[in-house]
Amino acid sequence: MSWLGRLFARKRMEMELDKELHFHIEAQVADKVRGGVPESEARRLTRIEFGGIDQLKEDCRESRGTMGLESTLQDIRYGLRQLRRSPSFALLGIVSLALGIGANTAIFSLLNAILLRPLPVQSPGELLLFGDGRAVGSTEAVPNGSWRLFSDAFFQDFRQKDTSFSGVAAVDSTDFTVKASVTGSAYQTTHVNLVSGSYFSVLGVPAFLGRTIEESDDSTPGAGPVAVASYSWFQRHFNGNPSALGRVIRIESHDYTLVGVAKPGFYGVTVGQPADLFVPLSMEKAFSRPGWNGIGDKFFQSLYLIGRLKPGVTAAQASAETNLLFKQIMRSYLGPQPSQKHLADLAHASVELTPGGRGVSPLRYAFSLPLKILMTIVALVLLIACANIANMLLARGVARSHEIGMRMALGASRRRIIVQLLTESAVLALLGAATGIALAWKAGAMLLHMATPGPDPVPLNVSPDLRVLGFTLGVTVLTAILFGTLPAFRAADRAFTPALKDGRGSSPSTVRGALARSLIVGQVALSVLLLVVAGLFVHSLIHLADVDTGFDEHNALVFTLDSSTANLAHGPDEVRSVGLEEQIEGRVRAIPGVQSDSFAFVVFHDGGWSDQVLFQGIPRTPANGQDVSFNIVGNGFFSAMGIPLIAGRTFNSEDRRNSPKVAVINQTMARRFFPNRSPIGQRFAIGETPDHPADIEVIGVVKDARYFTLNEGRMMEAYFPCTQNPGFLSNFVVRYAPNANPQEIISPVRHAIAAINPNILVDNVSSLEEQVDRTLARQSLIAQLSAFFAALAVLLACVGIYGLLSYSVARRTGELGIRLALGAPMSRLLWTVLRESLILLALGLAIGLPVALTFTRILKSLLYELSPLDPVSIAIATGAIAVMTLAAAWFPARRATRINPSQALRAE
Amino acid sequence: MKTEDRFDLPQGTLDLLIMRVVALGPIHGYAIAQRIQQMSREALQVQQGSLYPALHRLEYKKLLTASWQASDTGREAKFYELTARGRDHLKAETENWKRLIGLVGLILKGTAEGIS
Repeated sequence: MSWLGRLFARKRMEMELDKELHFHIEAQVADKVRGGVPESEARRLTRIEFGGIDQLKEDCRESRGTMGLESTLQDIRYGLRQLRRSPSFALLGIVSLALGIGANTAIFSLLNAILLRPLPVQSPGELLLFGDGRAVGSTEAVPNGSWRLFSDAFFQDFRQKDTSFSGVAAVDSTDFTVKASVTGSAYQTTHVNLVSGSYFSVLGVPAFLGRTIEESDDSTPGAGPVAVASYSWFQRHFNGNPSALGRVIRIESHDYTLVGVAKPGFYGVTVGQPADLFVPLSMEKAFSRPGWNGIGDKFFQSLYLIGRLKPGVTAAQASAETNLLFKQIMRSYLGPQPSQKHLADLAHASVELTPGGRGVSPLRYAFSLPLKILMTIVALVLLIACANIANMLLARGVARSHEIGMRMALGASRRRIIVQLLTESAVLALLGAATGIALAWKAGAMLLHMATPGPDPVPLNVSPDLRVLGFTLGVTVLTAILFGTLPAFRAADRAFTPALKDGRGSSPSTVRGALARSLIVGQVALSVLLLVVAGLFVHSLIHLADVDTGFDEHNALVFTLDSSTANLAHGPDEVRSVGLEEQIEGRVRAIPGVQSDSFAFVVFHDGGWSDQVLFQGIPRTPANGQDVSFNIVGNGFFSAMGIPLIAGRTFNSEDRRNSPKVAVINQTMARRFFPNRSPIGQRFAIGETPDHPADIEVIGVVKDARYFTLNEGRMMEAYFPCTQNPGFLSNFVVRYAPNANPQEIISPVRHAIAAINPNILVDNVSSLEEQVDRTLARQSLIAQLSAFFAALAVLLACVGIYGLLSYSVARRTGELGIRLALGAPMSRLLWTVLRESLILLALGLAIGLPVALTFTRILKSLLYELSPLDPVSIAIATGAIAVMTLAAAWFPARRATRINPSQALRAE
Repeated sequence: MKTEDRFDLPQGTLDLLIMRVVALGPIHGYAIAQRIQQMSREALQVQQGSLYPALHRLEYKKLLTASWQASDTGREAKFYELTARGRDHLKAETENWKRLIGLVGLILKGTAEGIS
């Protein structure tokens, strides 16, 4: 009979065992009767000789080998029954575990999606990324320092020479967000990746349908007007219909033939920025932006390179060869007589090869440290929850010592009792975990939305996968062991002797007390740590929210426009875009309630464009040698943004394409170049060593305004008029009167734009305030979550203290009653109980505060203008835990003073 | 010198005795206990507490097989029989046992006098 069969035949086996033993007894009785003993006496003797029949049965079951599973099932049923019998304990336990395990699962699923999960490519471990992937966009600088972006020329030259890689793939670092139309249907927002012909073969991503992009598509500029779709884009647009192959997709006035669909689950190498379509790099010109030299330029560096190591080549060998080739090739690009500065730059340049199997992700750099800190925080919360449950189990162990003693007397072994108690803990932990996973399922997506708010959610799959479920299971088992082991051993040991003699276990209670007290001290210490951390994050967030942006973020709307389907002219005719912009600005200004409006290259936190500048006759200094951030704006920009003019004038209708080139600069730039005089009328040129005359004249100075983020330092900034830098700008700022309703402004603005050119689409509208708040998302996520978890930790610790003191008051009822009867004043009794909690609090603080002060240093990079030893946060944390501890102790203490002496003595 | 007329079985010998008794033909648990007692001239008394777990263990190891049959009193009882594997096992274990007591005897020879 199979082992499983036995299990199902259990009922039958039990019956047969009964029958067999019964036969034995009857036969023995019959023998005795035959020997002349009266039947009743024979029965009595037999029963005595036979001994404990239940123990015998248990031994028989055990010798049959199905015991493990049978007894586990039995223990689980027993455990569930125990939990049903004390619903408040069960509820408290399950809720605290669900919160603890759920929080761990939710944070881990984010961590997994952002930091751990490998790309769905072939052998991801063999892939190496050139550089660390922390740059996006393009640069024309001569490499210096650790290099991240590469030119197409370098890519081609490198792969002809290198011997370490079986192949190198290239992909443009920019995620091109464009409007695409499938065979004449409506234009839809589409994310395009420009990839090399080697991209799919090097990554080892096969086509699901048709073919992938091949070398022949990428051989010469314009050679491959083809596109490969991601599987989900293909499903969205064609419902999996293979006839999609060969269809024409129109992107920015170019047509591409759909030649294939990539394998399901592959969205390119940028985590959190899934691509819809892959287009060969040979089509780069069609995606060109104003001011781009494009991939024909040897120093137009915009590509991520990913190499696949040849078998047997180590990363160190590959790195040595790559760096050697990198310098050789870049040196050859500098021409026969490079400048000393370029040579020095190149001498400092290097390429760091980093593991590429997990792809590149802007999210990863922003959230790596915060996620690790949050992971630690939730692990500590779970630890506190475990301590609480361990404490409750210890108390229950005392209460159940009678029951356990009984079971041991009936023949259960010590091992059996411990296993059974651990199973009960595991049942509790599993119930908590199941609830926790349900919580985490929703929380993961919610956290992601909190982390990256905005009109489009980051398309990142955070639903728990096998790795997450494995993690949760591991955590659950660990928790059950953590909170279950000590109480189980203690219960089994205690039950051995005195339990049956009198109902109260007496001797081990002091040991239990010491253990329970150290658990409480640990909880207080951890709570203090979490409170200090939360306090620091919240305080830092308050600092950030108070930062003066330099512009007026109230009463302004930012429209994001898309002109890709409007067929606007590029090149010499681009100036027509300026006309279009001026038309829109004029018409919108006429809308009632609108005060001012302007197009802008960037508004705030949109990325940017920067370079060095040089003024005529001003020597280069370390301060003025830093990059200046540039912006291209309309005439109304400074009033629309509310940036005050300090000196000179802003742009006006006199500043035309052919009039002298002008710029408005900010105070920091003015101060760094002209510490002692006015910059108005001075001229500068763009570039580190401009080879053209300094022809841009400063006409005005404005107040500093934040450009990228709220916590950036002082930055130099220069504004250029859009008339002199033509090209259609995608940001449009509208300032409305303080008493106007923004909702009543939005739709007339949309209509105005549509009336002027129906092909200019409004992608998104948000208030300037929202745009600023969005940049605080990471900080506010950390502050909110750490505050929430710290509150949870304190709450759990208070439940623990309350439980411990209630229990100790209940146990000491007799003693307290006698002292009351002998005339001890109420205040003395109150103090006796409170003193206990004060000692625990003091010990907890004595351990927790030094630990907190040591570890908050790790947080330094996440705090804005705040020392990790911020006294306010530490004081508030200490105060909060002290108040909460005393509040938790107050109720049991009060109960102690209300003991009725006569009742207490009678109870004894 | 005093000898006990009853004594406890050395570890592991109970299985051997049970198999020896069962080897004589199908037999139920109570009769096994009786038979061991008789064959040892009342010197060995097998406790039910060890007999039944041992029977179930041997059955689980497929050295014994069991079936329900009518006993002499007419009641149904669980009769045990040796399997082929049990027969081989019994043979090997008996050989081992004999060798063991031979060796132990060899060593202990003459010591009884020496001690007293």
